[in-house]
Amino acid sequence: MMRKLTAVLILSIGVFIATIDATAQNVSSLRINEAMLFNTDNYVDNFGQRSPWIEIMNIGYNSVNIANCYLTNDLNEPKKYKIPSGDPKSEIQARQFMVFFADNKTEHGTQHLNFTLDSTHRFIALLSSDGTIIDSVTLPLLELNQVYNRMPDGSPSWEKSFFSTPNSTNEGRFEKTSSGEAFLAFDPSGIIMAIIAMAVVFAALIVLYRIFRTIGKINQRSAQLKSAKFAKEQGLPVTSQEVAGEVYAAISVALYLYETDTHDQESTIITIQRVSRLYSPWSSKIYGLRQLPHEQRRRN
Amino acid sequence: MEQSSGFFSFLLENLSQFIAYTGFANVTWGHGIMILIALAFIALAIIKEYEPLLLVPIGFGIILGNIPFVPGFQTGIYEEGSVLNYLYFGVIKGVYPPLIFLGIGAMTDFSALISNPKLILIGAAAQLGIFGAYMAALYFGFTAEEAGAIGIIGGADGPTAIFLSSRLAPELLGAVAISAYSYMALVPVIQPPIMRILTTKKERVIRMKPPRQVTKMEKILFPIIGVLLTTFIVPSGLPLLGMLFFGNLLKESTVTKRLADTARGPMIDIVTILIGLTVGASTQATTFLTPKSVFIFILGAISFIIATFGGVMFVKIFNIFLKEGNKMNPLIGNAGVSAVPDSARISQMVGLEYDKTNHLLMHAMGPNVAGVIGSAVAAGILLSFLY
Repeated sequence: MMRKLTAVLILSIGVFIATIDATAQNVSSLRINEAMLFNTDNYVDNFGQRSPWIEIMNIGYNSVNIANCYLTNDLNEPKKYKIPSGDPKSEIQARQFMVFFADNKTEHGTQHLNFTLDSTHRFIALLSSDGTIIDSVTLPLLELNQVYNRMPDGSPSWEKSFFSTPNSTNEGRFEKTSSGEAFLAFDPSGIIMAIIAMAVVFAALIVLYRIFRTIGKINQRSAQLKSAKFAKEQGLPVTSQEVAGEVYAAISVALYLYETDTHDQESTIITIQRVSRLYSPWSSKIYGLRQLPHEQRRRN
Repeated sequence: MEQSSGFFSFLLENLSQFIAYTGFANVTWGHGIMILIALAFIALAIIKEYEPLLLVPIGFGIILGNIPFVPGFQTGIYEEGSVLNYLYFGVIKGVYPPLIFLGIGAMTDFSALISNPKLILIGAAAQLGIFGAYMAALYFGFTAEEAGAIGIIGGADGPTAIFLSSRLAPELLGAVAISAYSYMALVPVIQPPIMRILTTKKERVIRMKPPRQVTKMEKILFPIIGVLLTTFIVPSGLPLLGMLFFGNLLKESTVTKRLADTARGPMIDIVTILIGLTVGASTQATTFLTPKSVFIFILGAISFIIATFGGVMFVKIFNIFLKEGNKMNPLIGNAGVSAVPDSARISQMVGLEYDKTNHLLMHAMGPNVAGVIGSAVAAGILLSFLY
């Protein structure tokens, strides 16, 4: 009973931790990816107005719902702007972006914050629904229409740039080379790939080999100890030699043949010698044939 | 009179349109060649019994894919909305290969490997074919991604080849898959001469120690340790390795017999039908009959030869460090390629030619199943470097 309770408890704790972790995994994938302090000739909102803006990126590979998270420009007031949950737009797809306007005009929609950014308010923080800081950044003093962005997207390194990319990747201005092309530039013959890959394959399988060699030895040792103990108890001579698999196979086959040796037809022997068979009612034909009904006559 | 001539012209117009839509009106030499290849596959499968479970669906799929038609009626495999296109989704998104690996895991007995773990290393050595072909493909001017997809043919593992090429070079998927399965079917033709060339008569009659008894605990631990270890090293191999070891745990735990039976029975059969048919159908003459495909076939053969060479030579070199009595028969080296169980069967057949009482099958199954793990790990490495 105690064991069962412990198992249930461990399972429940496991599920609880996994759930917490899964939630954390979701919003923890959000990053402040780009921000503009002074917008005079840049990104225009749906109302044709320009204001400071903040771009949030989902660096994960699953969509994340940003609803109920908080944005603030002052840590003394961490829950300054709660992102409403009723807006279907609050879902940010994998590796995608969402722009918020720091224009203090919440009446313009859920993506318009209730605070602004300027030379004295350059701090931005994104907090989860329970108030934990997911990401924060203090913008340096930027020039007009200059952005402060992560390069590459979602990375820890920031840089100033006049190449603003709201709702899009910060790496857009660079020619993107595929991983294959990049690898080929360093390894045109493929020899480095061959050496590295073979080394990794060997390393993985050597570790597997070592583990199972050790497990095998432990098993053999414990089997020997068991058989020695049994032999001692039974007073039999102790033998350290392991029974070969072939012996087990032969015994198994013999047992199988013995157990499945059921047949409908008995084996017969043809002989010229006179054979006498003892009478047995079980083999008597009389009992195997249908008996004709006896005619009974009434005698008067 | 005027009405009847109008009717006849209408009929004629429709008839000529019907004729224009028939396969006969649209057939090209390419279609003819591909249909002949399909018939050859089917003949090999039925007459020679070379991998019939794969070659019959693939062969028939090639026929389906090369029936000439007028595009636009949601008929062909590459036309969005067609039935074949929906089924092909499982190939291009890499859904089928992990499911096949689940079935393979549920039907594979790793006892031979567990009882003699050094056989695992042969499975690693035979992956040399993959990277040999990768280098050769680069030399012939293929891009790194294409070279990776071609190289994996040397793993002699159809599902892995499909999985990797669907990621790295989807345009070569048909040629890579057909090449991989063709050479897997031709293992009895390709491998024995290489094995004979590389070994001496004395080596061919080496008797190996019979495998020891493997406990149930070891069999259960194998998939758990295997998956943790291999996927922690190569997480990109997770779909294949995860499913392989999961299938094996279903089998070895003995408490999920129904699940294991489904995975190794009806499920793998269904997926094999779908993967075979759709891969075959993806070889439409227009996309398949290109010089690249010819190169892929040549490189595929090279990769199989290198893989066999790698496995056999590794055993020979390994033997130098082993004590007398512990030595391995180099004829099991070819089984390091993961064409299960065909290459292990080749070890047995060639071994019996030189010693009628030396049965190598059980020993060859070790490197054979290790090859499956090795090629999935290799695919994971290629994916992480090139994708």
